[in-house]
Amino acid sequence: MSRPVFIAGRALLCAAGNSPPAVASTLWAGECAPGRRRLGEREFPYFALNLPESAWQARAERSVRALAEQLGPLDEKTPLFIASSSFQMGQFEAAGSPFELPPACAAFSRQLADWLGLNGPGYSFSTACTSGFSALDAARSLIAAGLIDDAVVLGVELANNSTLAGFAAMELLSRSTARPFDVRRDGLALGEAVAAVRLSAQPATWRIAGLRTGLDAYSTTGPDPDGGPIAALTVDCLQEAKMPAGDIELVKLQAAGSPGTDLAEANALRRVFRERMPPLLSLKPYLGHTLGASGIAELVALLACLDAEQIPATAGFAESDPEIALKPTVVRSNTYIERALLQLIGFGGSLASLIVERRQ
Amino acid sequence: MIYLDSVITQEFTAAELPAAVRAALGKPLRRAATLTQLAVVGALACLPAERRTLPTALLWQTRSGPRAETLNLLEEVCNGGAEPMPYDFLATQPAIAAAQLKPFLPGLHSATCLPLADESTANWSLLLSLADHWLQTGRYAQVLCAQLDHAGDQAGGQWLALSAAPLENSLASLHLPEVTPVEALADDKDFPARLDHWLAAGSIGHLYLQSAAGRKLAVEFARI
Repeated sequence: MSRPVFIAGRALLCAAGNSPPAVASTLWAGECAPGRRRLGEREFPYFALNLPESAWQARAERSVRALAEQLGPLDEKTPLFIASSSFQMGQFEAAGSPFELPPACAAFSRQLADWLGLNGPGYSFSTACTSGFSALDAARSLIAAGLIDDAVVLGVELANNSTLAGFAAMELLSRSTARPFDVRRDGLALGEAVAAVRLSAQPATWRIAGLRTGLDAYSTTGPDPDGGPIAALTVDCLQEAKMPAGDIELVKLQAAGSPGTDLAEANALRRVFRERMPPLLSLKPYLGHTLGASGIAELVALLACLDAEQIPATAGFAESDPEIALKPTVVRSNTYIERALLQLIGFGGSLASLIVERRQ
Repeated sequence: MIYLDSVITQEFTAAELPAAVRAALGKPLRRAATLTQLAVVGALACLPAERRTLPTALLWQTRSGPRAETLNLLEEVCNGGAEPMPYDFLATQPAIAAAQLKPFLPGLHSATCLPLADESTANWSLLLSLADHWLQTGRYAQVLCAQLDHAGDQAGGQWLALSAAPLENSLASLHLPEVTPVEALADDKDFPARLDHWLAAGSIGHLYLQSAAGRKLAVEFARI
């Protein structure tokens, strides 16, 4: 059995807004102004959630309860699939030493389920920046197999110094802003997001046409610059969707402004699309790189834009990199999009490609 | 229907694990976190050399997660005078394990880590249900399902290797029953040992695993 799987509900809080329509509106207006987050003597751009609370736990609760409101009434037994790369690290930092980690490393997932009002099956996923699509893949596989009928997939990434310091120590962060595919790009700008989709076997506007997760073992800190593994995974995803590359009308890039990863992604896209490159859009200059939440957060943000028929320009891009030789969208568009490809390239070698198709 | 090809349980002390890795690879694996080392020795024990190039997915759950590494990182970030060592940050990311495993398992297409939310239950039924769907739809030739944990001086891995087609030495067939089984094993950390016991006993024809998480997440094992 393999049933079609639809995206029946969506919710999002990120630096660009506290609901999917608000985020679409911010992106259409081209507004992106990251705040700053201090780390010792250094400061980095940071896309924080706009919440009144300052305490980590209170912010987490406020944001997840807000998602629940956006999703609307849910059967409390709805299976929950949670994606994060840092889970409750910020809470551990706030509590201070001696650090008391729970015996089960994803114990925080129980709390998240409670805030969402769910007490059914719950599963957690941690594959760095691709966590969201790994969780999405598991949920849609169970629905496709007829084992469950609905699922909530939640992406959560909330501020913590451990992640910021880790990326800073590896010199992977920009000191100014994210500049996808730009010749002056100098690294990532991190951010927070909580986002959710409700998947269902019942028809809805957007269908998951293809979804593949993969692996690029070139290095633990960056993909093969040649783009071969990323291209192979994208082709797998197109094959699952039974679509030629030419059917893709828009690509939501990973493009976070990383010198190496942006180049690998561009080379992969050239291998897949050749001379018929679809419009390329990066959302990270608006949301920041929200790591384990980025897959779900950017999916919800993109669908909100597509529903409004308002495709934003890619902020942060000014001058092409001759080595990349690809330019993201720099002009807004009201194009009606039926099929979009979303790419994730994760820290540690994980990859994911997703194709969504609008129901006719 | 899919097939169970091996059930493996491994236990190591902190001193034994690097030696086990060296024995499996013929060389040490430098800068590899404990979970990564467990992934390498377990995956290679499950798959003979001739099957390591076949399209493979790895689904691994963990209760401990990278606990010691996370404590190190927190200590460095919150109490240290400088930024953390890059390796300590890398070691907290489970995704790294797959990148370090792939050179020894070239067919590894995908790897997913599922951290567990409580001490008592496990996600074997989810892992096996995903394996069933992916193998039945031709996405992979084989799927490795594992639980990897370390605490204090002890580290261990439990592994099930599954394939789309029966091998000469397959241990059992699996399918997802349409009727909820009356008697089934609980989905917990002891499941692989009980499965192994059932395989060794050879008396009862069928064994069921039922997830507490979902009525439909049940798996039936049948002797071949």
